[in-house]
Amino acid sequence: MIAGTFTGTIKTEELQINIGPQHPSTHGVFRMITRIDGETILGLEPVFGYLHRNHEQLGEVSSYLQIIPFTDRLDYFNSMPNNQGYCMAVEKLAGIEVPERAEYIRVIMAELSRIQNHATALGFMLNDMGAMGTPLLYGFREREKILDLFEAASGARMMCSYMRFGGVARDIDDEWLGELKKLMVGLPAFFDEFERLLSENEILLSRARNVGILPKAVALDYSVTGPLLRGSGIPYDVRRAEPYSVYDRFGFDVVVGSVGDIYDRYLVRVEEMRQSLRILEQAVQQLPDASGGHLNPKVKQQSIRPPAGEAYARVETPKGELGFYLVSDGSGRPYRYKIRAPSFINLTALSDLARGHKVADLVVILGSIDIVMGEVDR
Amino acid sequence: MTTTTAEKTTTSAAGQIRAGRGGVVVVQRRSNKPHMGQGLAKGMAVVIKHFADALLKRNDSRDEISGMFTVEYPEEVLALPETYRNMPVLLYDDETGHELCTSCFQCERVCPPQVIHITQAKNPETGKPVPAAAEFIIEYDSCMSCGYCAEVCPFDAIKMDHYFELSTPNHLAMDVHKEALNRPVSYYATIAPNLWAEVRDTALKKLQNNIKRRPGTIGVAPQALGKVAAKTPAAKVAPGAAPGAQAAPSAAPAKPVAAIGKNMPPEKVARLEAIRAANRARRGAAAGAPSHHEQQVQLAEEPVLSSAPPQGAAGPGAAPGLGGAAPSTGPGEDMPSDKRARLEAIRAANRARREGEGPAAADAPVQSAAEPAPVQDGAVPAAEPDKDMPDEKRARLEAIRAANRARRREQEGS
Repeated sequence: MIAGTFTGTIKTEELQINIGPQHPSTHGVFRMITRIDGETILGLEPVFGYLHRNHEQLGEVSSYLQIIPFTDRLDYFNSMPNNQGYCMAVEKLAGIEVPERAEYIRVIMAELSRIQNHATALGFMLNDMGAMGTPLLYGFREREKILDLFEAASGARMMCSYMRFGGVARDIDDEWLGELKKLMVGLPAFFDEFERLLSENEILLSRARNVGILPKAVALDYSVTGPLLRGSGIPYDVRRAEPYSVYDRFGFDVVVGSVGDIYDRYLVRVEEMRQSLRILEQAVQQLPDASGGHLNPKVKQQSIRPPAGEAYARVETPKGELGFYLVSDGSGRPYRYKIRAPSFINLTALSDLARGHKVADLVVILGSIDIVMGEVDR
Repeated sequence: MTTTTAEKTTTSAAGQIRAGRGGVVVVQRRSNKPHMGQGLAKGMAVVIKHFADALLKRNDSRDEISGMFTVEYPEEVLALPETYRNMPVLLYDDETGHELCTSCFQCERVCPPQVIHITQAKNPETGKPVPAAAEFIIEYDSCMSCGYCAEVCPFDAIKMDHYFELSTPNHLAMDVHKEALNRPVSYYATIAPNLWAEVRDTALKKLQNNIKRRPGTIGVAPQALGKVAAKTPAAKVAPGAAPGAQAAPSAAPAKPVAAIGKNMPPEKVARLEAIRAANRARRGAAAGAPSHHEQQVQLAEEPVLSSAPPQGAAGPGAAPGLGGAAPSTGPGEDMPSDKRARLEAIRAANRARREGEGPAAADAPVQSAAEPAPVQDGAVPAAEPDKDMPDEKRARLEAIRAANRARRREQEGS
């Protein structure tokens, strides 16, 4: 176009483009069909299912015990809370009692899992923002220490398969607890440092503030959970709303934001890590000695046959509320096995979050939801 | 820093809701005042501090957050915790050569991805099942290392290995058969001394009971066959003496051979030393001088490893104690002369057998065992062409091999 002919108005046209399924910023195989006008997003349709692995159907042909390793692969960042949620559902179904020590170990593992998840989730979000690598590696450093602890306790770093019906697979020893205490000494310094590194960073402020606002009402309509919901200012946390395990014995605060933008989600996650550390300190202090056992010896893990009925158990994973719904017909396999995956439900809010923003912001908004496609598609 | 700690915010934040123990905290957003890059400068200060620390100090403690964390794999390998689980392997007794597996099918049943396939051994005379596995296949490529098989095994026959460098260009090699799955008990005792010490006595007791129900060499690990041939006649001649004869050996194999890793924490080393001392004392009290038994362990390992070294046991670093037991190692200086003579005899017999069976037999373990990663510079030992192979096929094979040889020579030259 010759500059001289420019009349002041350019006729523009809506354009439909695909972002994904193979795209470095989609956190897995995820496709977004976006309608854009220039750089502005007019509409977005999320498409998932590329990673579908038949998890729920597979559960119906597996014995109850065999499902535990599969739950590791839902949200592979947080196998511990996944195990916990599933085991709680089976325990509810079969009326299994869990020794107190096992409950505390579960809480310790779940909170460690939350810290490492938030540290990496923030790192990935900043990666999407353009801070290539640096914040992510700060998060990975802490995650590495926590995964070492998981490995020493369960034998695996990510696919822990650590929980069993009525307890945990293996007890933790004093050596392990000593390492945990050492880690807890270092964590506050990490949180402070992470905030010093980023919280006042002008680039982060300008990219995150007032971007991707999720109003309270919309958040409730989509029934999103986790830091995404709390970032919008709704103090809902399963640990507080329906205290499971021994969470009613710990003092901790539910962290909420005030605006509901990306910056609030960032701050909520940082503060939740501090709260998790608070819970950890109390749990380590209250941990009963090993005399009570770490596993209910009466449970036949391999041949468990819960009476006919149904059960739903939910836990607060770092991503949000994870629910397991089980129907038993009295046989050794679940009749129906259904998962309420927080990533999946949180992701449905994406089209509302992204509308009106630029394409570059869409990537950050997606990062701030913190999804794992293994859980979205199952 | 505008973020207050949790406790402070609980009391000061407006609009907090009390519920249970603890309230609701509203995160404090930074002020809306325009920044002039102070935030960036703060962040850069953190980065520069870490850059300097990474150059100056090493960090091996969990309570520190700066310094050099990384290790230079593969030169430097971090110690794995005992509980670490990678791929399942089978155990066999060093002394008797018998596999601990009785093919009870528990692991096959519990395996979530169903990758374990067992065939039970049968008595060739009566056709009745024998408590031993004729074939045991694990599809390593589909195994998800959940460790259930090791957890449910009532005979402690299947354990999770620590060896993790399994990558191979040959997908079919990931269907691992029994010969390649077998590891001596002494190997497991090196990678997980405490875990093995917990189950050792019951496991070996159960094994002794099962050996009584296994006729001939059924249930003997292929690796240990040569060694056992020298032993079984004595056991057969005097079955009454067998329990007594086996009581002493059964105490010996569980000695952890050089389990102390370089970067193990000192308290762990101390604990290990204590366990070993206790074991030595017990063994010494049970039968004879401890030094005698240590030599027996050494002896037992040699033929085992020279016949078909399992990948994990022979791998560098995986088992430092076993690595030294190369077939070429001469008898120990302080070995009694009768023992030395016997060892020489066993070796001669092995040599003779190997030569007699020809290269095909010598190479067979490597091929059939489906070793995870035996490929070194493409020097895969070629199997001898089958006897009943059609001539044209044989010719074609020969041609391919000649071409391969030429290519290898060329690669070595360049």
